[in-house]
Amino acid sequence: MFNGFSHSVKGASHEKTGLVCQDSSAYKVCDDYAVCVVADGHGSKKHFRSNMGSKFAVEATIATVDRFYADKESFEASMPKNHRMIIKNIQKQIISDWNKLVGEHLKNNPVTDEEKSKFTEEEFEAIPPESYYGTTLIVGVAGKNFCFGVQIGDGTLVALFDDGKAVMPMEYNEAAPANVTASMCNSNAAGMFSAFYRDKQKLIAMFTSTDGLYTSFGSEFDFLDYHTIITGQLGDYDNFSKIIVNNLTKRAHFGTEDDISLSCVYDNELLAEKLGTIVSEIEANKQRAAERKAKRLEKHVETE
Amino acid sequence: MNIDDINKQGASASPADNYSSAQSNDLLDFDDDPLSATGVSRKSLVIFFLIDTSGSMKGKKMGELNTVMEELIPEIRKVGEADTEVKVAVLTFSTDVKWMYSTPIPIEEFEWARLRASGVTSLGAALKELNARMSRNGFLNSPSLSFAPVIFLMTDGYPSDDYKAGLRELQANSWYKFGLKAALGIGSEANDNILTEFTGSPDTVVHAYSGGQLAQMIKIIAVTSSQIGSKSMTLSDDTSHELGEEDVFAAKQKLLGQQIQELVGKSETDDVPFDTGW
Repeated sequence: MFNGFSHSVKGASHEKTGLVCQDSSAYKVCDDYAVCVVADGHGSKKHFRSNMGSKFAVEATIATVDRFYADKESFEASMPKNHRMIIKNIQKQIISDWNKLVGEHLKNNPVTDEEKSKFTEEEFEAIPPESYYGTTLIVGVAGKNFCFGVQIGDGTLVALFDDGKAVMPMEYNEAAPANVTASMCNSNAAGMFSAFYRDKQKLIAMFTSTDGLYTSFGSEFDFLDYHTIITGQLGDYDNFSKIIVNNLTKRAHFGTEDDISLSCVYDNELLAEKLGTIVSEIEANKQRAAERKAKRLEKHVETE
Repeated sequence: MNIDDINKQGASASPADNYSSAQSNDLLDFDDDPLSATGVSRKSLVIFFLIDTSGSMKGKKMGELNTVMEELIPEIRKVGEADTEVKVAVLTFSTDVKWMYSTPIPIEEFEWARLRASGVTSLGAALKELNARMSRNGFLNSPSLSFAPVIFLMTDGYPSDDYKAGLRELQANSWYKFGLKAALGIGSEANDNILTEFTGSPDTVVHAYSGGQLAQMIKIIAVTSSQIGSKSMTLSDDTSHELGEEDVFAAKQKLLGQQIQELVGKSETDDVPFDTGW
């Protein structure tokens, strides 16, 4: 049986400037599938409604996945054979739903004089309306016999399969290089998604996070180890719920000061079965971290 | 379906967990956190020191440089104390090119290794090695890296290899383009034109002709460039105009040149020049 959690916390830099949290996050668990989703509104001048854009991205995603699972038998049977095409369709549907939500919101809430006052008339005319709502999106979907993820823009998806190792399985789309922030508001957004699909390994837990979490770590090793530790705590979620909110708040204050969102879904039964493997992995990670540190501090130059 | 509906269906959505400042402080005091095993990294900045350890640096120049660098580390620590994690990478060049450590080291853990001088001045090889490591797959792989690097070259003579070939490679590197560059010529043999080619501006090139000046100049450049390098300049002061990466780089490099020249103008020493005293 699946379970999950999601949290979004406001970054210290946004507290200082009075900007509302630009992130949104959600999770949904059903008997047959679970979804973890986060979105990071761009928050810059021309994306002045990106807090709403990230909320719509999360809502569009849950609605789209629900629709594909409406005919569960057919969907589950088709995915192993046609996952590339189906995932592309899901990406297109998410973009389409998001554009509808954005369009409705704009119709009901026209741009105000105050919002326009930040631009010259020419500057404002040059901004496509969907850009007001620009956001990233990172989604993980866990099914009974497979899992997959889709992503547009910065952010990370981490999965722990039954070997207990934390990995980042997303196969990055070379059409959307790392130095270009891909966005739901891009005119060719459907072609800028990255994705992954797995059906050979059982999934213990899957996490999606906005880039504020990743950038609060000094190394990618630490970032992955963090997810392993979280997974080791999920068996007692009531106790852990306070710990995770504290930790994310601390990271949003003392890290790169960006908003942070983390969403997770996990398989309760497999987690209970594999808890010993996770605990061993946490211990091994500590040992590896100590070895890396010792190696890092070796000097390599000729000295007096 | 909106986020509120998702909540009603046995799921949860979080536009943002809201905490007042008082609540946040309580939360931050919470000690029993198993996740603290993976520490929080602040915004980070890497300072690259490129140091000439050729035979001509032997004696007082190298001795002074070693002493100044040992003294400098605590001063750079102060720069990072507020909200930036400063990391240091030291590349030495003589006949061979060697990194002091195999990766940039957080300033809190950094310990200077007193360097020895011998051999020729392979500046071109050093610039190629810097180019090779200055990438996301190399020394700039920290997730928390938030600022373009500071690159500080110190040399006392003319390169013994094809430095132009190394510089051409380096000039195509985006981290170099957007990094803050400064150079220090030690003694009268150091070539101003080469140093200016490296930094791109005569304002960020200074000279030290004595031990006292060497100490002053290293401190001025290293501390000023790390302060400017770690300054967030994504928005202008009125916050209504966004700056692009190139504008930020240009503004920082200009500020560095101005501050270095201002501080160099104020510095005074009356000790014995290298070329007569050494």
